[in-house]
Amino acid sequence: MNPPAERAAAAPGLRLLIGLKLSVLRNLLRQAVDEAPLKVAVSVGFVALIWLGLYTLFVEIFYSLQTSLLERAVVMPVMFNIFFLALLILLTLSNAVIAYGSLFSGREPGFLLATPVPPIHLVTVKYLESLFFASWALILLGLPLMLAVANSEEEPASFYPLFLAFFLFFVPIPGALGMLLAYVAARFAPRGSRGVLLAVGVLVLAAAALWSLQLVHIGETTPRYAKVFFERMEFVEAALLPSTWVARGIERALHSDHSRALGYLTVTLANAVFASWLAVTLSARGFSRAYDRATTGSSRTRNAEPANRSNAEGLCERIFFYLPARLRFLAAKDLRTFLRDPLQWSQLAILFGLMALYLLNLPRFYTDLLETSWGTLVPFLNLCAVTLILATFTSRFVFPLVSLEGHQLWLIGLLPLPRRRILIAKFAYAFTITAIVSVTVIVLAAVSLHMHPGWALLNVVVILGVCVGLCGLAVGLGARLPMFGQLNPGRIANGFGGTINLIASVTLVVGVLTGMAVVAAHARGTGPTRPPDPTSVAAVLAIAALPLAVGLGALRLGGRHFEQLEV
Amino acid sequence: MPDPISAAIQLDSVIKRYGDTLAVDGLTLSIPRGELFAFVGPNGAGKTTTIKMIAGLLRPDAGEIHLCGHAMHRNGQAAKSVIAYVPDQPFLYDKLTGREFLHFVARMYGVKPERRDAVLTELNTRFQMAGFLDKMTEDYSHGMKQKVVIAAALLHAPEVLVIDEPMVGLDPKTVREVKDLFTSQVRRGGTVFMSTHTLEVAEAIADRIGIINRGQLIAAGTMSELRALADRSQSLEEIFLELTEEEDEPTR
Repeated sequence: MNPPAERAAAAPGLRLLIGLKLSVLRNLLRQAVDEAPLKVAVSVGFVALIWLGLYTLFVEIFYSLQTSLLERAVVMPVMFNIFFLALLILLTLSNAVIAYGSLFSGREPGFLLATPVPPIHLVTVKYLESLFFASWALILLGLPLMLAVANSEEEPASFYPLFLAFFLFFVPIPGALGMLLAYVAARFAPRGSRGVLLAVGVLVLAAAALWSLQLVHIGETTPRYAKVFFERMEFVEAALLPSTWVARGIERALHSDHSRALGYLTVTLANAVFASWLAVTLSARGFSRAYDRATTGSSRTRNAEPANRSNAEGLCERIFFYLPARLRFLAAKDLRTFLRDPLQWSQLAILFGLMALYLLNLPRFYTDLLETSWGTLVPFLNLCAVTLILATFTSRFVFPLVSLEGHQLWLIGLLPLPRRRILIAKFAYAFTITAIVSVTVIVLAAVSLHMHPGWALLNVVVILGVCVGLCGLAVGLGARLPMFGQLNPGRIANGFGGTINLIASVTLVVGVLTGMAVVAAHARGTGPTRPPDPTSVAAVLAIAALPLAVGLGALRLGGRHFEQLEV
Repeated sequence: MPDPISAAIQLDSVIKRYGDTLAVDGLTLSIPRGELFAFVGPNGAGKTTTIKMIAGLLRPDAGEIHLCGHAMHRNGQAAKSVIAYVPDQPFLYDKLTGREFLHFVARMYGVKPERRDAVLTELNTRFQMAGFLDKMTEDYSHGMKQKVVIAAALLHAPEVLVIDEPMVGLDPKTVREVKDLFTSQVRRGGTVFMSTHTLEVAEAIADRIGIINRGQLIAAGTMSELRALADRSQSLEEIFLELTEEEDEPTR
């Protein structure tokens, strides 16, 4: 046995764990730069592009607000409040998801829990880790906002450190709230409560939709509407909200009112420290019970409700009614996996849910924009949002599908059907999911904007073409550049093939959108409420043919390679 | 300090449920120091759940677990400092090399660098890890991972080694090395608690064997005690099949 004399003093757990995380991060960065410099360059390029886009957007907003002193005085504070409140909610939710995943569902906590590392150190490191990931908001949203504000006003030099300090001290508050939510869910949520949690989630979303609809349909004229709107938005300025302290503090910093800005900063810091202490202490104290509860789960949910399950499985197959039986079973298998993986369907539901909420709110403002050049721009921007979401989804969830079959490929290879047809089943699954969701959103947009049926139909044709293009690229390149040894879909999507697919998908989307931008500019004179002219129809059909050809070409390329693959 | 008189592992009337399923049903078991105990049972019998409770990952719904006199759920840190746990699916940090991982574990248990290096040299020779120890663990095969986690478990010379399915994915030479390692661990006064489906290994190296079925310990003892219990039967495989079949009969 190990005699006591041979043991050094055990390294402080927290320092050791932080050192471990830094080593992992260092190796990750070194490996990324050494092995995939193209991927790093593309990622940095995309982040820079998003960053630049946000900066331009903020500059435009502040510039338009400066046209009137009244608007600047009234709208700016409300806008800051709404911005930070939205950030508070989003960061709380993202921290809750990250904290739950890293504390209760990964394998690392199980490894550390079996060692003498005190739970308080484990929880603290996980808390810092989720703060680190959440702090991307600081770089992506905070810095462009700060520079845009600085660009629009004559800022004192003291504004910059104060702004950064506000952001840094603000981030731990949603971080702590998120961790507490994760802990409460793991420790106290009833076992087998996925259905209950889903129902609560749907109710919350429905309430949010109802509230935003009420906000939109006030039924007043525009000047009166603004008054009622601001009255209803008063709650965002509640003095107890952390977002209010930050918004008011930044506003004071803008006006060189240092003492009051520092006052708000101190309040934010004190609350951040207290919330962090509370979240970490409570979570650490009950961690082993919460971990036990989260990992032992319920056997009842797996065994019960066979009738419901068979109905759901029947539905999975009926959706692919247009496929021959064997392909239908393969496609239904992928759909079942999709529906049973909350990470996949929740991501799609959240992105398109937010899109639907925005579209429901659109008519109120759009009526005022119809007479301006924005009349044709808004439908184009909707198309941009939908296609970019689709590109993200297919790159992250469709591309890894073929690689994930790696371990079962010998089994699939024994099926009495050509391998090429397996790709068709995967394509059919991906196309069905993306087409159902995106066509719904595009039709909703067309109805909300009172578009002429001709324009609505053209938009549907384009989006269907994009679905074929993106799904074909993801499945085709997935078969051409597979990563069979890997079981983690995230890693497959982030690998060389995944990066190539992402670049190809975004390039395709940019190509389609460029064409549609030209059509929108051409139709600016008539607008989308009147029938499209023959030139526009021909141009849109030609544009839709581009992704169609790319998708089918990629499928063909992937199919040829997949057919000859030796496993 | 561990209590030198108490059993290495003591389970008293331990119960664990997963929802409506009773995974471990009133398990009582005492394993003295210096014993190699093999835990066998059919799939879903409760082996891994029991091991996870011994390692402190899961909490019993009822009953107590003591390791060298330390109550696992009242004095967890002391209990965890005397054991090492190797799960059935080895966990390693993907973006660390095997050596970085082993150094981290050594620091976590306060092992001095000189001792760490000495142990690593010995294990390196035994498991032939030199060829891959400085590569990222994400590139390791299951067998390589298993070697590294077993090495990590032995770094701090634990009083009790708790190991779930140790032989899965290992080549025959390494299986032999692992068996020798366990017996030498026991010879030095340590305790090994091993769950396995490889009945030949259990029969060959275990001092005592426990058979668990449906969460209950249906038999425990040396090979000769188990033979006496099962009557006529000779090999552990036959005893295992006979005892677990008897248990299954009422449900058919």
